[in-house]
Amino acid sequence: MSGFTISRRKMLAGSAMLLASTAMPTLGRAQTPKKGGRLVLAADSEPRNLNPAIVASNGVFFISSKIVETLAEASFDGKDGLAPRLALGWEGAADGLSVTFKLRDGVKWHDGKPFTSADVAFSALQIWKPLQNLGRTVFKDLAAVDTPDDLTAVFKFAKPTPFQLIRNALPALSSVVPKHIYEVGKIEDNPANNAPIGTGPFKFGEYKAGQYYRLTKNTDYWGKDEPWLDEIIYQVLPDRTSAANALEAGEIQLAAFSAVPLADLGRISKVPGLRVISKGYEGLTYQLVVEINHRRKELADVKVRQAIAHAIDKDFVVKTVFLGYAATATGPVPKNDPQFYTADVPTYPFDVAKANALLDEAGYKKGPDGKRFTLKLLPAPYFNETKQFGDYLRQALAAIGIDAELVNNDSAAHIKAVYTDHAFDLAVGPPVFRGDPAISTTILVQSGIADGVPFSNQGGYKNDALDALIAKASETLDTTARTDLYKEFQKEVAADLPLINVAEWSFISVASDKLGNIANNPRWAVSNWADTYLAG
Amino acid sequence: MSPLRRFLRAPEAVAGAILLSALMAMALSASLLFPSDPQAIAGPALLPPFQDWSLPLGTDRLGRDVLAELFHGARTSLAVGLAAAAASLAIGAVVGTLAGFAGGLVDEVLMRITDAFQTVPGFLLALAFVSVVGPSLGAVVIAIALGTWTGPARIARAEVLSIRERDYVASARAIGMHPLEIAFREVLPNALPPVLAMSSVIVAAAILTEAALSFLGLGDPNRVTWGGMIAEGRTVLRTAPFLSIVPGMALVLTVLGVYLAGEGIVETTAVRRGLS
Repeated sequence: MSGFTISRRKMLAGSAMLLASTAMPTLGRAQTPKKGGRLVLAADSEPRNLNPAIVASNGVFFISSKIVETLAEASFDGKDGLAPRLALGWEGAADGLSVTFKLRDGVKWHDGKPFTSADVAFSALQIWKPLQNLGRTVFKDLAAVDTPDDLTAVFKFAKPTPFQLIRNALPALSSVVPKHIYEVGKIEDNPANNAPIGTGPFKFGEYKAGQYYRLTKNTDYWGKDEPWLDEIIYQVLPDRTSAANALEAGEIQLAAFSAVPLADLGRISKVPGLRVISKGYEGLTYQLVVEINHRRKELADVKVRQAIAHAIDKDFVVKTVFLGYAATATGPVPKNDPQFYTADVPTYPFDVAKANALLDEAGYKKGPDGKRFTLKLLPAPYFNETKQFGDYLRQALAAIGIDAELVNNDSAAHIKAVYTDHAFDLAVGPPVFRGDPAISTTILVQSGIADGVPFSNQGGYKNDALDALIAKASETLDTTARTDLYKEFQKEVAADLPLINVAEWSFISVASDKLGNIANNPRWAVSNWADTYLAG
Repeated sequence: MSPLRRFLRAPEAVAGAILLSALMAMALSASLLFPSDPQAIAGPALLPPFQDWSLPLGTDRLGRDVLAELFHGARTSLAVGLAAAAASLAIGAVVGTLAGFAGGLVDEVLMRITDAFQTVPGFLLALAFVSVVGPSLGAVVIAIALGTWTGPARIARAEVLSIRERDYVASARAIGMHPLEIAFREVLPNALPPVLAMSSVIVAAAILTEAALSFLGLGDPNRVTWGGMIAEGRTVLRTAPFLSIVPGMALVLTVLGVYLAGEGIVETTAVRRGLS
């Protein structure tokens, strides 16, 4: 199984690994680890709320995962792909109604108070379930958390909840915050949201808007001899070209989350002292998706959707938009997922003639000007790649006689236009796959979701068979049966195309050769960095 | 000496005229030379210039023909520049004439509105307007005109103030012409030349503002614009600098051309007026 997992991982890394291969030998070479030192790295956004228990997003984790820890972290070789953090063990009951966590002993909060099961119970019931963007779905049936002793927390569910889902949710959704800080006043307004207090290897130092975040070493950390670094400075560098320059000048030692533009990686990989790394993001896969508004008469026809899928040259997108740092997609689960992915789904090879034939069949003949109909296309503005894919998609649609008019919006306006006002025909979106389809993937195609929920099915798509499948999977406890249902789900989505999955990509880090123990877990950029060091 | 010959003897003016006619030729011939969609993918991505003679200026990040984009971009730049200047001159002339000719409270109100617009930086106004209305060619034209009409308005008013005391205006009044008719048929045409002299500056500024808006992603995404091309090229500045340099040069030469030609025309007409 583990060998299989690795081959999958390599598939995603694809040509990225090839490119990085010149730098690979240095990864294995023994460096002399050294205690202390200050790591300066590039940060491209400045989240205001730094509480990962409320805002479970990569932008927040990037900084706060070093301060606030989760029950478990993703791992390349641990059992179920997990490594213990605040929890040492977890066990689900056969009836799916409870999960028991054994907690780590001798852990202290940054203010010196001991960490106990009461903190876990408080975080789960008061924050993850009611307030957290992702926890609202996963923990919706959590009824109580029993704390028989200080080191045991038993999650009780009102309805059977698959243990596999809870396990898969642990790395991103289980940030534990201190009860004694949050129990007074309104949780959303707590000052600790901006200056977090946790159990992690680093303490929150200070934040200067537009300049930097400073984290300092937690000398009381539970990990033996950890952390290695004395200080982490997140230098705010919103301009993407400046990160590359700062790396070359030696002002920063790390640019994660593709802060260096993909087009610059070829050049920067040749700079001595720097290496390009595509590992360490396997658990953070973004999907390039064409969202479809099924309220449009033409798009409600599956033949038209299939024609659009055939018109997109996925290989071209991977090669040109992502410069090879991505993989083509077959369906709603990314190829690099070790548990759920199946390749056994209907596929849509690039075929303009077939696309044209499908559109003719659907009854949308070309007019005298060569156009069949006009669509509004809204590319999400969050990534350069989503915008560029929008430009590409417009041309790809022109080739099959569909005239797409691009509408550019800023982030807020885009979210409102697509997810609240439904003022789009096609949109380009980058949803994230979070290790389990039930966390943030099924919501993309499920019906009956309230207006205004971002990154959910707002295209008016309704498929009773698919809804039933999703509902059944959400209450199936047996891991194999549940996995099979999600394979069925992938087939159904790929066949009916409520949305079109084009590519899957993750991020690239550029790091100084001196930085050691990096990219050593599938969510490295958003993990706690307790063992990361700067060689002398 | 005829104005044309005087114009031709000023080297800057001739240089400006050549640049400007080159731009016009580019804009007019764009659909003849590059009849297909300039945003269509024409070849391999990031092809450097002068490698493949079917794509002389190379291709951008998606493999679009940079030369075709440059020609079609000239259209957008020129269209926006001229339309914005026309709109701004029209608004300015009307407001200035009304204020100057009517005087009193109307003058006060119109001039204070002009002041209000003048105190807000024009680019900021354009930015705010496009953000609210949404990026489209029409919105960009209006946005630019909003920030530039105040100059023409003030000049028109000053001219009208002196013209309205002339004898022919008094006689027009005496024969019972309607005040609005006097303002727009008798006064405005005579107040116009100094206002028109501003047009070259306004066209040049409008082209730059349009490029800046496109650079910030507030241009019409369905059209090729030079500002948009520079913004696109910026992400690959280190690896493919030509993608930003080529449209940047085009922009510089255009603004220079418009300005020099405009100055040349103003100089020649000013001399003629001075002599007469």
